[in-house]
Amino acid sequence: MSRISVAGISKWFHRRGDAPLHVLSDICIEIGTGKSVAIVGASGSGKSTLLNIIAGLTDSDGGRVLIDGREQRAGQTSAAMAYMFQEDRLLPWRSAAGNVRFGIETLGLPRAEQDRRVRSVLELVGLAEFANAYPHELSGGMRSRVALARSLAPEPQILLMDEPFSKLDPATRSQMHAEVVRIAAERAVTIVFVTHDVEEAVVLADEVVVLQPRPGRVKEVVPLQLAHPRDPVLPMVSDAVRDLRQRSDHSAAAPIYH
Amino acid sequence: MSATNSFARTPVPLALRSPLARKIVLRGAFAVIVFAAWFLASRNMPAFILPAPDRVFATWSRLVQLPTFWGDFWITFSRVLAGFGLSAVVGALLGLLMGVSTKAAEFFEPLIVIINTVSSTIWAIFALIWFGLSEATTIFVVFMTAMPLILTNVWEGTRQVNPDLVELARSFRMTRGQVLRKIYLPMILPQFFTGARLAFGFGARVVLVAETLGASSGIGYRLRQAADLVQTDQVFAWTLTLVALMLVLEYGLLKPMETWLFSWRKAVKN
Repeated sequence: MSRISVAGISKWFHRRGDAPLHVLSDICIEIGTGKSVAIVGASGSGKSTLLNIIAGLTDSDGGRVLIDGREQRAGQTSAAMAYMFQEDRLLPWRSAAGNVRFGIETLGLPRAEQDRRVRSVLELVGLAEFANAYPHELSGGMRSRVALARSLAPEPQILLMDEPFSKLDPATRSQMHAEVVRIAAERAVTIVFVTHDVEEAVVLADEVVVLQPRPGRVKEVVPLQLAHPRDPVLPMVSDAVRDLRQRSDHSAAAPIYH
Repeated sequence: MSATNSFARTPVPLALRSPLARKIVLRGAFAVIVFAAWFLASRNMPAFILPAPDRVFATWSRLVQLPTFWGDFWITFSRVLAGFGLSAVVGALLGLLMGVSTKAAEFFEPLIVIINTVSSTIWAIFALIWFGLSEATTIFVVFMTAMPLILTNVWEGTRQVNPDLVELARSFRMTRGQVLRKIYLPMILPQFFTGARLAFGFGARVVLVAETLGASSGIGYRLRQAADLVQTDQVFAWTLTLVALMLVLEYGLLKPMETWLFSWRKAVKN
C-alpha cells in the first residue's frame, strides 16, 4: 500500500551572482508497492536531490510527488517514510537501543510498545546482544545495522536510502545487501535508493532508473528480473552489471574520454 | 654526552612504573618539600610574617571550633552558589540564544567583551556604590565574573552541534523543541560543564574580593579583619580552609561527575 509517483519534477539551484543551475528536468517515475528501485547516474545528474525531494527534505520547483495518491510537500515528510543517510549518523551519547528508540520516541507510543519495537528491529538486523553497546564500541558494519534498525523502527512502508553502504568495506557491504533483501521481503517495504555502485543496484533493485546529467533527466528504466540472492559471481548477475555499466556510462553528457 | 646517556639508561624505579603509583609518589614528594621549605623559612622569620605550619594548624583547629566559623563558611559558600546559579541560568539561555540566532550573537557580543575586560575589583567597587553593604553586592560580583564564562562556553558548544544530526532529527519529523532537547542539549552539555567549572572556580575567588570590600560577614571579611589585626596565622588558616574546600569540590564532586557524564565523549576522541 505505498505507490510512489514522481510526476514532472524539476529543480533549479539558485546561486548568488550566477545563473541558476538546472538540476532536474521533468522527472517522471512510477514505483509500485513493495518494489525496490535504484537511481543511478553520473555525478551531477541530481540523483541525491531527487531522493531528497521524494523524501520531502528538499522542495521542488515544479511537478509533484504522490505517495498513494497524496501529495508530498517539503517539510511534511510522510509518516510512512524512513530515510537512511550516507553516514550512519548515530548519536554517540546513546546506546544502540537508545539510537533505535530515537526514531520512534516522538510518535507518542506507550513505553512498552517502544521497547517491543526496539527489541524487534535489533533482532531483525542481528544485533539483539548489542542493545546496550555504544556506537564507539561497534564496528562499521554494526553501526550501519543500527542505522538500518533505527529507520525500520517506525515501521515505514517506504525506505529511502542515499548511498547508505558506500562507506563500508566490500565484504560488509554485501552482508548489508543480503540483510536489506531479506528485510524488504519480510516486511514488504518499498525501497528507493541512490547509488553510484552499479553492482549494488543490480544486487538490490527490481528496477534501475538511469539518469543523465546537466540537467538531470531519466535516460531509461531498466527492469531486472533475476532471482535472489544475486551473487555478483553468478554469470547472469555479472552480465547484468556489465550491461548496466555500459548504459549508465553512455549517459554522460560530455563523452570526453571517447 | 656520556652524562645524558647514563641518565637515559637509568632504570625506572619499580614504584614509578604504574601511572597511579607514580602520581601518588610525586604528589607526596611535592607536599613534603613544600612543608619542609615552609617550616625552615618560618624558623628565621617573625610569626606575623610567616607563621610555622604547626602554629597555623593549631590556629585552624581552634578556628573550626568557633561558633562563627561555620556561619562565615556557609555565608560565603551560599553567595558563591547564588551568583553561580544565576550565572548558569542566564549564561546558558543567552548562550543558546546567541548560538541559534546570528542577530542575537551580533547584538550581545560587545556586551560580553565589556564585561570581560572590566576587572572584578572594579565590579566590586561599582556594586558597593550601587547596593551598599548588602548580599546583592557579593552576588553581583560573582555573577559578572562567572556569567560570561558559562555564556561563551555554551555559545561555543552550539557551534559544534553537528548539522547532520539536526537533519537526522528533521527526517524523523521532530519539532524545533524536540531537536533542541534531543540534539542540542546533549551536545552542549560537555561545554556547559567546562564553563560551569571555570565559572565556579572564578566565582569562589572573586567572592573574597567582594567580601573584603563590601561585606560584614563571610570568609573574605574575616580575612581582612585578621590582616588588619596582623593575625597572620588566622589568614593562613582561612586560606588553607579555602584550598581544602576547592580540592574536595574538584576531586570529590566535579571530576567524578564529568567522568561519569561524558564517558562516551572520551571514548569517541580516542
